[in-house]
Amino acid sequence: MSDTFSYFLMAWLDPQLLLLTALGTLAGIYVGAIPGLSVTMAVSILISFTFAWDINNALALMVGIYVGGVYGGSRTAILLNIPGAPSAVVTALDGYPLAQRGEAGRAIGLSTVMSVIGGLLGTLVLAGTAPYLADMALEFASRDYFLIAVLGLLLVSTLSGKSLARGIFSVALGATIGLIGMDQVTAQPRLTMGSMQLMGGIHYVVVMIGLFGAAEAFYQLHNLNKVPIKQKVDKIIPPLSMVLKFLPLSVRTSLIGVIVGALPGTGGDIASLFAYDHAKRSVKHPSRPFGEGAYEGLVAPETANNAAVGGAYVPMLTLGMPGDAVTAVIIGALVIHGLNPGPMLMVETPHIFWFTVGNLALANLFLLFFGLTGIKVFTKVVEVPKAILIPLILVLCVVGTYSINSSMMEVYWMLGFGILGYWLKVFGFQMGPIILGVILGPLLDETYRQAMSSEGESLGGFLLALVSNPLSIVLTSVIVLVLLSQTPAKSWLLARTRRS
Amino acid sequence: MFKPLLVSTAVALGSLAMAGSALAEYPERNIQGTIQWGEGGATDNVARSLTPHVEEILDTTIVLTNRAGGTGVIGMNHVMNQRADGYNLLYGAENPLLYQLMGLADFTYADMHTVNIIGQGLVVIAAPADSPFDSFADLLEHAHENPGELRMGGTGAGGLPNTVLAMINAVDELDVRNVTFGGDGPGITAMLGGHIDFMPLSLAAAGEQIRGGKLKGLAVVTTDEIEALPDVPPITEALPDIESFLPWGPFWGVFVHKDTPDEAKAALEEAYEEAVASDEFQEFLESYGAESLNLNGDEAQEYLDSWQSVTAWSMYEADAESLETTPEELGIPRP
Repeated sequence: MSDTFSYFLMAWLDPQLLLLTALGTLAGIYVGAIPGLSVTMAVSILISFTFAWDINNALALMVGIYVGGVYGGSRTAILLNIPGAPSAVVTALDGYPLAQRGEAGRAIGLSTVMSVIGGLLGTLVLAGTAPYLADMALEFASRDYFLIAVLGLLLVSTLSGKSLARGIFSVALGATIGLIGMDQVTAQPRLTMGSMQLMGGIHYVVVMIGLFGAAEAFYQLHNLNKVPIKQKVDKIIPPLSMVLKFLPLSVRTSLIGVIVGALPGTGGDIASLFAYDHAKRSVKHPSRPFGEGAYEGLVAPETANNAAVGGAYVPMLTLGMPGDAVTAVIIGALVIHGLNPGPMLMVETPHIFWFTVGNLALANLFLLFFGLTGIKVFTKVVEVPKAILIPLILVLCVVGTYSINSSMMEVYWMLGFGILGYWLKVFGFQMGPIILGVILGPLLDETYRQAMSSEGESLGGFLLALVSNPLSIVLTSVIVLVLLSQTPAKSWLLARTRRS
Repeated sequence: MFKPLLVSTAVALGSLAMAGSALAEYPERNIQGTIQWGEGGATDNVARSLTPHVEEILDTTIVLTNRAGGTGVIGMNHVMNQRADGYNLLYGAENPLLYQLMGLADFTYADMHTVNIIGQGLVVIAAPADSPFDSFADLLEHAHENPGELRMGGTGAGGLPNTVLAMINAVDELDVRNVTFGGDGPGITAMLGGHIDFMPLSLAAAGEQIRGGKLKGLAVVTTDEIEALPDVPPITEALPDIESFLPWGPFWGVFVHKDTPDEAKAALEEAYEEAVASDEFQEFLESYGAESLNLNGDEAQEYLDSWQSVTAWSMYEADAESLETTPEELGIPRP
């Protein structure tokens, strides 16, 4: 017990670790805020950089970057309608309208506090239930991931705005983009039109930067002469009453975040989508309608994506299996430093688990501090005249895209998606469903084929499996319920029962 | 902890100074290293733990970038299209030797110059800890009686599990449901949950899970028992005929453009040979469940030729229809 406590406090009491965690968190916020710079990239660069360091120092810096980076994506989403990372895509839905109302400062303040609450709850779940949660996550078979992806497709109704038909079209477009590249099973090129560059597919961050960043910049040309909205900067830190009001929602969305994050096949991006959907369904009287600057629409994704960090560490620390791309790189770092990430990690290096838990908690506290300072300067971004802001955004988009793979080809793709996104916006399409399709398309493809080959390519066997395994039964019934309650099927059924 | 930072600053300043002199020796500036697989994978781990030693020896900085996708085609294509000045390195795995056979690309390692074949991974056929099979012979027997029932974790055409399955099928018959995952990690996770029955894996990926009692080894794909897994029998016990394909395993190497100046080739070969031989890196390879090779020149070429011949022909004998062409047409001799 005393060991546990001293491991937990390791990062809190050692000035060097304290400093590195703080530095990491601060750097992470900026890495996360710039579209294209990803936490995965930053952490893998750190591996060579920290090669000769003590492992604890390296881990402290990585934890900081991870926590700060996941939060940082919301900054640009709120201020510019350009999510810094896929997990902040839904943050823009209500965050940007808030900035348009002059409440950018309040929105950033609220998202900071909520991210910290989500992050701490995620850490708490990691600390208390890691082994059980890991066992639960292992129960998910390919068919269950397939069902989750199908459930995700139903989010289209939440993300489409006014026109569901346009939303469905956008999801299909996104899914098609997501399928480009070499087919994993047969190694045959798919939709590549003979281009070797396309064999690896189009990176979904490229699509995201194009559709959100470049397209938004082009679209803003319509408002070139509009006077920027004056930002209120007096009420940045949300009052306690507001935080308490959103506490029940944030606990629920944090749980969604930590569970989805702990599943090795899904991460913060999908968690934030489900959380937003949950808020939209469960909050009957939001502060404003969703999509027009509802605080609830900000609280849900921001708690969920930070809680997912704690979740991603669950399979990593208990089993040595990555919960997402970042923890995969951290596992690599452990290997290079001579540790043995695996089921024995917690036995042979007992300090790692509680050290990480303590470190995550610490990084979240630093996040609260760094997140709440400097907001006034940040909100000024919105007040910058469009003629200066738009070229800057475009430069940022190009640099961000280039840095993903150091490839000019991807910059051209990004610009292409920017132009496509501009026209889609003009005709009233939403960008969210396209990203939903890009994220879910490959997941659907992969998990459906895995589930089918598990059943010996028999459709009957596959369908039977959906209703013969407890976990799959639950997921299948949720899908059926959502379909029945959200579609005309409901009123049709009601009318029928009444008649009989 | 700030010492390495100081050292690297000094190195950077030093290389700047060197660039100033007229008759500068290779390397006079930063080198770009491209890793053909993603962050956190085996090739990435090997590249990132070896490179700091090389940087020290060459007194320069090697900037590592992951360019994953298309079974490594994209990373290799990138390096081949860079200037042949010795400042662009490829960190690659075994896959390019099969590109032509599978119709993925028209180049192989023969189109580059091999700086070093760093090492090779050992392969183990793993199953969940509560699997009813205690050895590969048990599994094979069950599969003979119930063809097409067992689920094998795979990583797609050209991946390690499929190649091992091909070797087995070239000498015996193992009819299984091949479930394709995005990599070793997702496959192991599915196996831990009991969703697949077995999976051929590199020891680097499976070793810790076996040691921790979450998975068990049914066979090691070698002719003798190995030190790291003392109780796991060699596959030749159940399948003596497979010996003709062994030793076999995935490997990692460093490559440069074929037309790189000889001076740069020699400097790189020397530096990598020294770096791979360093105690620290040897320790890493051992704990990673890999065998050190440290080959260059003719020895490296022999190794690549024999790997390609063994793998291509076993794939051809197991399932010729799935291939784009035959090893014979590509001029790959029989093993």
